[in-house]
Amino acid sequence: MDDPTTGLIRRAQGGDVASFSELLDLHYAAIYRIAWKWCGHRTNAEDITQQSCIKLASSLAQYRFQAAFTSWLYQLVISCARDWQRTQQRHDHDALPADDPPGGGSERSEDYIYLVQLLDQLDDIGEGMKETALLVHAEGLSHAEAGQILGVSESTISWRIHAIRKHMNKAEALMGGGV
Amino acid sequence: MNAHSFEHQLRQATAPAPDAEAQLRSRNAALAEFQRVHAAANQTISPKDTWLFRLRRLFPGTGRGRPSRNLWLGGLATACVVVVAVSTFFLVPPGQRQVAVRPSIDTATIPEVNNPTPPVIQESEPVAPTPAMPEEKTEAQQPKAVIPPEAVRGRPKALNPHRQRTGKPASSAEAITTPDPSVIAPVSPPEVDEVVVGHDKVYASAMTASTAVAAVQPSPGPGSDVGLGEISVTGTRATKSSWFNRMFSRKEPQSIQQSFRSIDEGRDQFEHFEINPVKQVSTEPVSTFSADVDTASYSFVRRELNQGRLPQVDSVRVEEMINYFDYAWPASESRDQPFEPTVTVSDSPWGEGKKLIHIGIKGYELPVRQQPDINLVLLLDVSGSMDEPDKLPLAQKSMALLLETLKPSDTVAIVVYAGAAGEVLPPTPIKQKETILQALYSLTPGGSTAGAEGIKLAYDLAERSFRKNGVNRILLATDGDFNVGITNRNELKGFVEREREKGVFLSFLGFGEGNYRDDMGQTLAQNGNGVAAYIDTLNEAKKVLVQESTASLFTIAKDVKFQVEFNPATVAEYRLVGYETRALNREDFNNDKVDAGDIGSGHAVTAIYEITPVGSKAKLIDESRYAEPARAAAQGKASEYGFLRIRYKLPNGFRSRLIEQPIRIDAGVPEALRDSVEFSTAVAGFGQLLRGGKYTGTLKFDDVIRQARGALGDDPYGYRAEFLTLVHKAKEAGGK
Repeated sequence: MDDPTTGLIRRAQGGDVASFSELLDLHYAAIYRIAWKWCGHRTNAEDITQQSCIKLASSLAQYRFQAAFTSWLYQLVISCARDWQRTQQRHDHDALPADDPPGGGSERSEDYIYLVQLLDQLDDIGEGMKETALLVHAEGLSHAEAGQILGVSESTISWRIHAIRKHMNKAEALMGGGV
Repeated sequence: MNAHSFEHQLRQATAPAPDAEAQLRSRNAALAEFQRVHAAANQTISPKDTWLFRLRRLFPGTGRGRPSRNLWLGGLATACVVVVAVSTFFLVPPGQRQVAVRPSIDTATIPEVNNPTPPVIQESEPVAPTPAMPEEKTEAQQPKAVIPPEAVRGRPKALNPHRQRTGKPASSAEAITTPDPSVIAPVSPPEVDEVVVGHDKVYASAMTASTAVAAVQPSPGPGSDVGLGEISVTGTRATKSSWFNRMFSRKEPQSIQQSFRSIDEGRDQFEHFEINPVKQVSTEPVSTFSADVDTASYSFVRRELNQGRLPQVDSVRVEEMINYFDYAWPASESRDQPFEPTVTVSDSPWGEGKKLIHIGIKGYELPVRQQPDINLVLLLDVSGSMDEPDKLPLAQKSMALLLETLKPSDTVAIVVYAGAAGEVLPPTPIKQKETILQALYSLTPGGSTAGAEGIKLAYDLAERSFRKNGVNRILLATDGDFNVGITNRNELKGFVEREREKGVFLSFLGFGEGNYRDDMGQTLAQNGNGVAAYIDTLNEAKKVLVQESTASLFTIAKDVKFQVEFNPATVAEYRLVGYETRALNREDFNNDKVDAGDIGSGHAVTAIYEITPVGSKAKLIDESRYAEPARAAAQGKASEYGFLRIRYKLPNGFRSRLIEQPIRIDAGVPEALRDSVEFSTAVAGFGQLLRGGKYTGTLKFDDVIRQARGALGDDPYGYRAEFLTLVHKAKEAGGK
């Protein structure tokens, strides 16, 4: 991690509000991006993002500079997103509103619908699959980095990626090869 | 269509730009939280606190749903309420305390009292219609938009289960009306490395706390008699959990490590691994792996098959199944070179034209009179989940069996862990067997699992009665993981590793099923120079703890590594059967810093390579068009398939020793070893079939049965006969 951020984090850990605020502004977009890719839904993503920000405030003190701050942040956001999803599944199973497609253009919104379906599908494959696919494909991380964030070995990530592709290929074949 | 592949879609997925207003809201909420955290941190409260420590243990971090939880939660809820209430009460400076007991709770219950400048948020009248909830206050402070409607909708429902769990509000209220200052005194936020508090548990605690606050002073205000049933809660869970954290600790609860487990199929957890592939000698002539004498996999597989189902693929480690059985490899006569390798070459039953190379070693067997003194610490999990016939009772009986094998001068200590870790028996010589047995059988299950605490205590005891020239070992018996305390596997691993350096080793005995954590046991035992075994029956306990007790207690060689270099002139391809989780890098072999498996007195280790000789049609990989053909033949090595090297250290040694031996093409199988080779091959075939049979060709369970039946040999304890019945069961369960 580059030095300016390290200093910022250290000051924030020491209780400096201004530093924390700066840190937050610096990473807000990234947090929101991950959250959005997690659920493909604007207000839900905002909800996750907010909880992540609050959690960042309460748990920044635990960051020990052992991993890159961004990796740590990924962990934090994913854990918030999981918590969020758990409450959703428990209580709003029937009513996940397919709200505002972003952007507006019809092609764009088609992509968006596909993404939401895809996320659901990934959820169905198994635990950990969605985050694996998101980190590797959507965020472009290496298998090793994703493994570090998800707390599993690199080979497990590779295996999951393989399993996801296998599953997807099968699903595609079932649908007659088309999307 | 490929452009629409899911990878492509994910890569293309771009989040819309964040909404500025939402960002502002999040920012404010986070800043408020930030200031509160730091305000709470600045409160002057003494750091040592056993009460809170215990309180926190009552909220195990994983939502694993142990059957016991309801029992103890119900019983202990009252205690929680008292402690929470009391701590809430006394965290508040006296001047403001009266505010805290007002029915409609004001800011004072929340420890931002020391914060001179409440951040960002303006003070306003509570908007929420329900009184008596401190977290509602915080909720009310947030701008309304902070909580998106989706988040709020489910919340009240979320509380329902906990409301039942929190016990009887009436009795809790009674308990609180007479707070005893002596009890209260130590309450403070403790310093702990790891706090494990489940979010959902936080709800419960927040509930009890608020109930308690409401009950502290039953003043006639409108909200004072609010019972649990009437409390409705709004607000984000983050608010509540942070409220809890703020009060009890600055550390973040649960989730990060907890949620990143290996894939969970069923509740038993195994590390996933891919089976060793076929390798081409011309590109990768050297194969390196660590010895493994564990047998846990076989017992687990047996258990699953006995219940009529095929085991999870990842629970099957072929090498552990092979090594479960005893083979007739000649044992070494001297303690100085504790084993010598036996190499045989036979035809492979898994593919025509292929050969099997067996490498067997059998550790030197210590004569009884040479056996060193033993300082043993039994670390028993007595959490509620151990309350099943095949868990704690079986563990107790197993330990009693073990006592029979020890010398009168050896010592045994007992440590238990559940809700709290405790020393049950100080180091006691076997002479006083009655005392030990009494202590052992007095244990009853109850509570959640604070394994890490127990481990620390066990190591303390082991060090206290350390035998310099003896065996110092902890025997850990559990059914699951440690969900309270050090839950981080790496941290625990590091701890066990450091203790190993001091000479205290650890072995792991797994019991029961349901939330068996095989991966945890493997990690601990591998790092603690110990054995991981899975005990499903008293017979198995006998095998591990009595018949093989010398093996599991006396290490004769440590860091045993195997390396085979294949001769490209005679071998085209090779494949190591099993040992996937024990693979080492080529360069690790000569690096004495790299840890590897240990071998106990009398232990046998068997490894099997399947090779495709040069010129065989069974080859899977085509020759490289450009590589030069191998030249080894010209140097007169055409009579060798390869070269075996074994490195090991003596138990107290720091430098490794080397054993070398060529693998001769005409090694064959001596008649005395025929049964051993055949039977181990059958077991290896079975294990591979259970893992999917990628490389076993047309092999069927029937072939395994046929081969094993022809090689039962002596089988004094009936283990091999039992294997036959298992294969039959697998055949029924799998229909193959």
